[in-house]
Amino acid sequence: MRYFLRRTAFFVITLWAAVTLNFVIPRLQPGDPAEAIVGQLTGQGPVDPDQIRAVRLMLGVPDTSLLSQYWDYLGSLVRGDFGISYTYFPYPVTHMISEALPWTLVLVGVTQVLGFLIGTVLGAFAAWRRNSRFDSFVTLGSQFVGSLPFFWIALLLLYLLAFLAGWFPDSGGHAVDVTPSWSWAFAGDAIYHGILPALSILVTAPAGWIIGMRNNMVQSLGEDYTRLARAKGLSVRRVALAYGARVAILPNVTGFALALGGILGGTVLVETIFDYPGLGRLLMEAVGARDYPLMQALFLFITIGVLLANLLADFLLGVLDPRVRKEAA
Amino acid sequence: MSLLEVADLSVAYATKNSPPTHAVRNVSFSMAEGECVGLLGESGCGKSTLGTALLRLLDRPARITGGTIRFDGTDITALDENALRPLRWRALSTVFQSSMNSLNPVLTVEAQFRDMFRTHTDMTSGEIRRRTAELLEMVLIDPSYMRFHPHELSGGMKQRVALALALALRPKLVVLDEPTTGLDVVVQKSIMDSVRTLQREQGFAVLLISHDLGTVMEIADRVMVMYAGSVVESRPAGEMLHPYSRGLLGSYADPRAETVDVTYIPGRPPDLSRFQDGCLFVDRCPVALPKCATEKPPLAPVGDGLVACHVAPSTKADFADSTFVRSVRAVAEAPPVLEVTGVHKTYTRRRTSVTAVDDVSFALRRGRVTALVGQSGSGKSTIAKLLTGIERPDTGTVMFGDVPVHRLRGRAMRRYRKDVQLVFQDPFAALNPVRTVRQTLVRPLRNHLGLSEKDARARLESLVDTVGLAPAFLDRYPHQLSGGQRQRVVVARALAPEPSILIADEPISMLDVSIRAEIVELLDRLVHHRDLAMLYITHDLLSARLLADEVLVLNKGTVVEDGPTIEVIRNAQAPYTKLLLDALPNPPR
Repeated sequence: MRYFLRRTAFFVITLWAAVTLNFVIPRLQPGDPAEAIVGQLTGQGPVDPDQIRAVRLMLGVPDTSLLSQYWDYLGSLVRGDFGISYTYFPYPVTHMISEALPWTLVLVGVTQVLGFLIGTVLGAFAAWRRNSRFDSFVTLGSQFVGSLPFFWIALLLLYLLAFLAGWFPDSGGHAVDVTPSWSWAFAGDAIYHGILPALSILVTAPAGWIIGMRNNMVQSLGEDYTRLARAKGLSVRRVALAYGARVAILPNVTGFALALGGILGGTVLVETIFDYPGLGRLLMEAVGARDYPLMQALFLFITIGVLLANLLADFLLGVLDPRVRKEAA
Repeated sequence: MSLLEVADLSVAYATKNSPPTHAVRNVSFSMAEGECVGLLGESGCGKSTLGTALLRLLDRPARITGGTIRFDGTDITALDENALRPLRWRALSTVFQSSMNSLNPVLTVEAQFRDMFRTHTDMTSGEIRRRTAELLEMVLIDPSYMRFHPHELSGGMKQRVALALALALRPKLVVLDEPTTGLDVVVQKSIMDSVRTLQREQGFAVLLISHDLGTVMEIADRVMVMYAGSVVESRPAGEMLHPYSRGLLGSYADPRAETVDVTYIPGRPPDLSRFQDGCLFVDRCPVALPKCATEKPPLAPVGDGLVACHVAPSTKADFADSTFVRSVRAVAEAPPVLEVTGVHKTYTRRRTSVTAVDDVSFALRRGRVTALVGQSGSGKSTIAKLLTGIERPDTGTVMFGDVPVHRLRGRAMRRYRKDVQLVFQDPFAALNPVRTVRQTLVRPLRNHLGLSEKDARARLESLVDTVGLAPAFLDRYPHQLSGGQRQRVVVARALAPEPSILIADEPISMLDVSIRAEIVELLDRLVHHRDLAMLYITHDLLSARLLADEVLVLNKGTVVEDGPTIEVIRNAQAPYTKLLLDALPNPPR
């Protein structure tokens, strides 16, 4: 129990640090967005001081102390008020994010979990049939595929399956004539659009887990307790699962949590390539259009997402590995 | 009919890149029901491979290349896994070496009993729990430990659990492979006592594989000795006839005696990837005849047992040329080089603190050896760290002449390190595997004596000569050396900066018994010829007796007894010293 409390406390502290950094870093940058807009206006002719004031007022450039700004900032976070998007004016930032979030959550969630499961199972099989043809094929194959950049695979898939063969749509999350709703027709259409982006992630995602799992399990199969399990006359299934795989999966779970940050970076590329309406594409647009409120909120959301996923992975590890619970207590 | 019959069994390790190693060579023996057979031999002799082959647990690249194993009337040599399963554990079980790893770290103790009962019996959950509790009580563990995970148990408890597990289905044969290696002597003794009592009560047969002569001689009805993959002798525990067995026995002695002598066997075991004519022991044998080199001696009956030797029936071999003799000698008083006064060291980690060293005082003098004797966790290694300045005492002082070691830093510490050097326990881990002996030895000469590369190299030959190695060894890598040769290199490295103090932390415990006396002799010679002060750290009173002039017995960080070695050993007062003495093997000679 203490382990779980400790992990939660750790989560709260990192969350606070992330929120604070998100507040501090933009204020350390030189210049401000108002100046940028004013600069653009000066290009078209002389600028009225009233215009400058109007821009500043519109953007809400603060004139209070840093501490009270920080306090206000925390307050608006709690209320869920992230301001108004510049590019999608007058929609609030939260509206844009809540539109995009489900797309990414489903695409990345499903593909990463699936990739992890496929990789772990293949790796376990490779270790169990060590040095067999299956093992060499899977190990070499995953080393090869794992070294390919996946945006390149995405482009290749796009070209071959969407452009040349025309089997799949080349962009978007759903067809233009289908409106998002809770219907089978929409779900089918969304899945159809999601296949290519999902596939391009799924090609490379399992590679790392295969190699990790195989190596861990080769080791756990060589341990005395596994030899003892065989000597005990346990069934092959029990030896492989409860003794070999059960111990070998633990480092992979930790690895999964650590990999999540990097995964989100990759999502930006995939969503941009397929013009997929998720958080990644939104972030890309926000950066391109210097949509500061949107960017800031997205960064914060991503950080919180990674932290939450890490917390879950820690909890899972706590359930799976009795030694971890003990160490932290 | 005997329970186990092994005929002409051979096992080889075959890898793609190197010639196959023939680890077990044409071994034949049998075991009767309820018999306790000890299988003795040094590391690499094939004893564990033989045990694993009997359990049919060999993994690639090892495989049985010839011969048969008959267990309880069934030929199990080539039986497939499905046919073996009913036999496994019900009839044939095992306890592995206590390397902390024979229990699954993520399952509770109960679960590890449960899966075995589920596989072999129709017992209900309640019955399984009751039986598990019974079994744990049998090995003196409280049944409440059932719910624990292995990491919550001590090493000794884990080994008891493994023993209870092995006996759960009342097997006919239990293979014990080094069951107590790595455990403290006192724990070792209590576990072996349990094995013996249970064996008498339940009548299972035991094959006890061990390099620990004392334990085997004490417990086994019959002793088999293996050398280079072959059984060279098999007879009831007692006087042994084969020169190799005699050499092994010679490495033990009674530390209470006025004069203690221990022997070592010169040379090293043969290359197991080749077959050679004649006796495999011939190169190391002190009594070899010309025909030993050409004609392989068969395992033939002599006296009340079997022995494979041309000489043994007529001559009893001794190793007079390779004996280290230690008698009681008078030691001249010398002024201390290092004085330790009232040191204390407590380690604190997350609110729990452990007192590692509690008020210890002693002095090291030139030309004398002081031994620190104690079990793991007694604070021996912490004291070594305080002496070398790696750790600082919480209170108390360590004075090197007028230099306060407990306060040194930076350059002064570096200067001091030239004067105090370490000999490590594990010669396999103490040398950088990618450096030749020459590269390893040049470092300390350059760093501590400030010699130029050229001057340093000029000194190397005399340096390796002092530890009894030929100059040709300078260009070898560690993996090309035997354990004893490596340990000589480690000693040479320690001597290189011409220190006045040598700290030897269990320098012989990782070496094979047959060569331990060799290293003891070397250390003894160095202390006297170079007038060194030595701190000898060990868990073993016999080696302390051989090397040390005075001894401090440590228990839980405090000195429970100290004085001249022979006095402490003969008139042990502290109960803890007596325990350590009881645990010493004293095989018949």
